[in-house]
Amino acid sequence: MSQSACIEGSCMKEACVEENSEKRQEKPGFKLFGEVSFRSFRKHESSLALFNWISILLFTFFLFMAFFPSSLAPYAPEERFIPYEAPSGRHLLGTNDIGNDILSELVFGARISITVGFAAALISTLIGTVLGLCAGYFRGVLDELLMGFTDVVLVIPKIPLIIVLGAFLRPSIWILILVLGLLSWESTARVTRSKALQLREAGYVKSAQCMGFSPYHIMTSDIFPNIIHVLLPKFMLAIASAMISEASLSFLGLGDISLKSWGIMLSFAFFRGGFIRDMWWWYMPPGICITFCVLSIALVGFGLEAKEKEYSEEGANIS
Amino acid sequence: MKSHASSTLLEVRDLEVSFQGIETVTVLSGISFSIRESETLALVGETGCGKSVVAHTIMHLLPPESRVKGAVEFKGKNLLGLNEKEMTKIRGKEIAIIFQDPSLALNPVYSIGHQLAEPLRVHQKEKKKAALSRAAIALKCMSFENFSECINYYPSWCSGGMNQRFLIAASTMLNPALLIADEPSKGLDKKCVAELETELKKLKVERKTSLLLISHDLGFVQRLANRIAVMYAGEIIELADSSSVFEKPLHPYTRGLLNSLPEKGFIPIPGFSPPLNSPPLGCRFHPRCPLREKYCIQVHPELKEIDGRAVRCFLYP
Amino acid sequence: MFSISLRADHLSKTYGTGLLSRGRCIFREVSFEIKPGTTFGLMGPSGEGKTTLGRVIAGIEKPTEGTVYYNGSPLSGIKKTVHAAFRRRVQIMFQDPSDAFNPRKTIGNSVSEVLALFKVLGTEHASKTREMLMTIGLPEEVFFRYPSQLSGGQLQRLALGRILLLEPEYIVLDEPTSALDVSVQAQILHMLKKVQAEKNIGYLLISHDEVVIRFMSESCGLLENGRLKIIN
Repeated sequence: MSQSACIEGSCMKEACVEENSEKRQEKPGFKLFGEVSFRSFRKHESSLALFNWISILLFTFFLFMAFFPSSLAPYAPEERFIPYEAPSGRHLLGTNDIGNDILSELVFGARISITVGFAAALISTLIGTVLGLCAGYFRGVLDELLMGFTDVVLVIPKIPLIIVLGAFLRPSIWILILVLGLLSWESTARVTRSKALQLREAGYVKSAQCMGFSPYHIMTSDIFPNIIHVLLPKFMLAIASAMISEASLSFLGLGDISLKSWGIMLSFAFFRGGFIRDMWWWYMPPGICITFCVLSIALVGFGLEAKEKEYSEEGANIS
Repeated sequence: MKSHASSTLLEVRDLEVSFQGIETVTVLSGISFSIRESETLALVGETGCGKSVVAHTIMHLLPPESRVKGAVEFKGKNLLGLNEKEMTKIRGKEIAIIFQDPSLALNPVYSIGHQLAEPLRVHQKEKKKAALSRAAIALKCMSFENFSECINYYPSWCSGGMNQRFLIAASTMLNPALLIADEPSKGLDKKCVAELETELKKLKVERKTSLLLISHDLGFVQRLANRIAVMYAGEIIELADSSSVFEKPLHPYTRGLLNSLPEKGFIPIPGFSPPLNSPPLGCRFHPRCPLREKYCIQVHPELKEIDGRAVRCFLYP
Repeated sequence: MFSISLRADHLSKTYGTGLLSRGRCIFREVSFEIKPGTTFGLMGPSGEGKTTLGRVIAGIEKPTEGTVYYNGSPLSGIKKTVHAAFRRRVQIMFQDPSDAFNPRKTIGNSVSEVLALFKVLGTEHASKTREMLMTIGLPEEVFFRYPSQLSGGQLQRLALGRILLLEPEYIVLDEPTSALDVSVQAQILHMLKKVQAEKNIGYLLISHDEVVIRFMSESCGLLENGRLKIIN
């Protein structure tokens, strides 16, 4: 009967390789174009890899700042010293209007900003995925309803809503997270829906339907795993976007002042006399931190997206 | 099989191709054949035996992790020694290639006319209008009655067979001396395959193009090829002219392939093709051969020439 | 009248009907019967609706008109539990073997979830899978592979094997060998015949290749212009 040599692993690999070479060429006369762009991609690959590594390192650094602030911060953020001090040996970034060490505030602020970003992104990705999966898988009336609902949510403006809520409720971090999360799932839903629409036509999904698996099982076991590599970059970019939104809202004074995020720090720096007194060591660091943190997250997201594109170009078989 | 040197168009000698990856896989182990002018050679074998790799090697379309040894001579020039710039001059103009899935090779957002005119604009630097009219004439020669409408069609509007014929038109517009067809009939139904055959026959007869036909389908190849080379696990195991292969197949694998044909009753060859990263010792076909001897398991047979044919089997020492 | 068979009774399928459009008719008034252990061949040019008819018979698409009768009982308008029982007995195998398995799951996982669905005991899993592998002629190592690592012929065998775990009575074979090499086609057709003889399964064989139909079927029909013409 069959021996261990039966598995045609490398034959398949060879076939996959052949398919790669086929797909790279579009037409007989235009080979030059294809080959040249492939070459320049390989050259850029190494610089891209470096870029990716830098962003991952930066992101890890900020995460460390968020998880272990006490190891980086010289003092506790509530400790009071002489206010309005310039940077010195004891206070590397000086002190603010009530005497807190700015460096310590900065380090502890990472936790708040990243948490808000992460939580809001989690909520929006979860909602978007579930709604997108259901709309794409079931189609028909449910699809129309969900997509209509998505369009309505798209129209609601975030900032005015928070202002209105702020007028009636005490500004709290949870309201911020909820609003940001509940109003930004639209694009995730659309992407998930289109992927689900595509995947539901696959042979293995139809086979599963034929065998009698429940829709819930098919969605979680067959469709969702094939969507994860698309969701992950979107999740990272959602974190980045939520952090920027939080910073903007906090700067406008709509944030929760009891939890000092970078945005709140910026807000205080401007409205409590830091700008007027030219205290760049107060208003620049939070801004720089927000910029670099968001940049590193976005770059990690782009890196994942590029990897996913590469993955799907290598042949639908693998991805 | 060596042929008369004066009219040999393409000669492949001892071609060895391997891919470096986590492990090195030798995909082709010593392939030699030649094609004369106006001749059709068919390369037949199962998926995974390496026949497409032969086509890609000739056209320099192998991935960067490949290593090539041996010689490929086209009109006396060694193709393997050419650099990319020189190779692009040959591709499309002197050697053309069509692949198995026409929908992959045609860009869905451009019209057929635009894509047919592309090689003319690139290679011969023609103006758009002139190129389009030449494309229309090519379609007319390809026996499309409504050729002026076809120019404006998009690939998704046409059947697989029609698209494959468009590709042949595009590839042959510059009158290449050699056309390589890599599994052109795969995935097409009977009617389309018949149309494809007529087209290729016309090419042979009217334009005297040489054809390297790569396929797994012996039936499709029978009507078109002058000579047939049967490949198994990266080697050529039989090489003879078409009628000899069908009437008197020598190698047990060739006999098995012929028996699998619908006309002979779909009698299968037991077992599976071996993986190329660990082919069997001795004769690569021995695990599936009904006539194997002890010798076959230990010693690897060489390709021997008998009466103008070549076969790689100990049955013919 | 009670008869053990899978019978199509005046099936029609139209796409895209709505308030303003009349829709596109795929097929109309199609009736035929498949007896257990026999093969009914469905021929016709590509794109004419053979696949759609196969899906309607297998129950993954609903006909616009007409009914499919399984052993005398109609399939529309029945209770969910009855429908679930029917599900198991009529299965479908698709044309593209590389599409038959989830690319992110190993073959072993894809197979064991089917066993779990039908509440086969964990202790019986091993014997059932071993039996399945013997029928399709593949070694146990395939269970640790991903679909991308196997060839078309092997995947098509595994697809059949997975279906056989459900102990079906009828299988709709939608162009089972069109995507395969001629030599592998011979192997698959022989395996299908062997399985049919051993397990008394009825096949609805859909193919554009007349020779394959003639080799496998006892009776066949030609689907052309939306109508089925029975040829014996």
